[in-house]
Amino acid sequence: MTVASQVKQTLASLKGASGTLRVYSTQTRDEEARGMFTEALEETQAIIEDLENRLKTLEFEEPQYKGN
Amino acid sequence: MQEWVLILLKTIGLFILVWAAVRLLGKKSLTQIDTVNFMCYFIIADITLLASVNIVPLFYAFIVLITWISLPIALDYLSIKSKMLHDLIKGKESVLVKHGKIMEENLLKTRMTGEDLLAQLRSKNVFNLADVEFAVMETNGEINPFLKSHKKPITAYDLSIKVAPQAEPQTVALDGNLLEEPLASLGLTPEWLKTELNKMGVALENVFIAQVDSSGDLYLDLFDDVPQLPPPKIKEMLYATLEKCQADLTTFSLETEDTEAKTMYSRNAQKLEDLLKRLRPYLLR
Repeated sequence: MTVASQVKQTLASLKGASGTLRVYSTQTRDEEARGMFTEALEETQAIIEDLENRLKTLEFEEPQYKGN
Repeated sequence: MQEWVLILLKTIGLFILVWAAVRLLGKKSLTQIDTVNFMCYFIIADITLLASVNIVPLFYAFIVLITWISLPIALDYLSIKSKMLHDLIKGKESVLVKHGKIMEENLLKTRMTGEDLLAQLRSKNVFNLADVEFAVMETNGEINPFLKSHKKPITAYDLSIKVAPQAEPQTVALDGNLLEEPLASLGLTPEWLKTELNKMGVALENVFIAQVDSSGDLYLDLFDDVPQLPPPKIKEMLYATLEKCQADLTTFSLETEDTEAKTMYSRNAQKLEDLLKRLRPYLLR
């Protein structure tokens, strides 16, 4: 498995987790817990962005693995 | 009219009157009421019986009933308004144990023996008198002990563990029927519940009880317990996923040779680790 595909895998599970966090940040009734979930959602979004940027660089460096 | 028809009609009338009266007298259960209220219930019951079998004329019975219903309500009202009258009418609670020592005089005043006190404490799950710091007899005769601090049940606060705040769960379906009101109070629609049930492959008719907890997860109990439903584990899974991502990021930061990427990975791994620490009480409990 190439580095790019490993990063892609992590990115995918992180996206899944952030989706679940988004669900909880809307359906939780308690104000404080909802705030926590929203905060977590924002932080994971930032990490996702960083990983996506890194992935672009990787694909630029190893174009032969693009799409894997 | 025949005699028995009269008695029947009278009894039904009195039943409705007494039923309304008892509702008016308040919501307290029989174990909570004080002696005066207990007496009222007793006399109301007696007069009703005597009147319905023609031992007391109906009119007299009415006078007695109305008096015994309105007086306690008036007394209740007065005791809400004034603390002095409250103590006079309802009596005061008496302290039976103070600083771990039994107050023998107060025990005598309440006509309790040491045995009685011990028995009452045992019914509160206190078997050892040495554990009791303070105990009080309420006006309804119940004894409530306050335990010494090292014998109290431990709480999350004692352990300085942070726990997520939780609101009460709402029951959204009972006996195969949707309950619209609790659903609406959660801001959910009947369609939402139907979709969730569809996802689990359960028909609404098969649901005995469905509850939504404060984080919006659905818990079901079915009529036929054959389809084994997994308990909601979404939060645990979410925690595990995030943990795995954190580990991946750490690995990447160790493997890569690009310094810029290295710092990016390790910064984000650190961020995720902090986040996991803060999310822990909300996702795992």
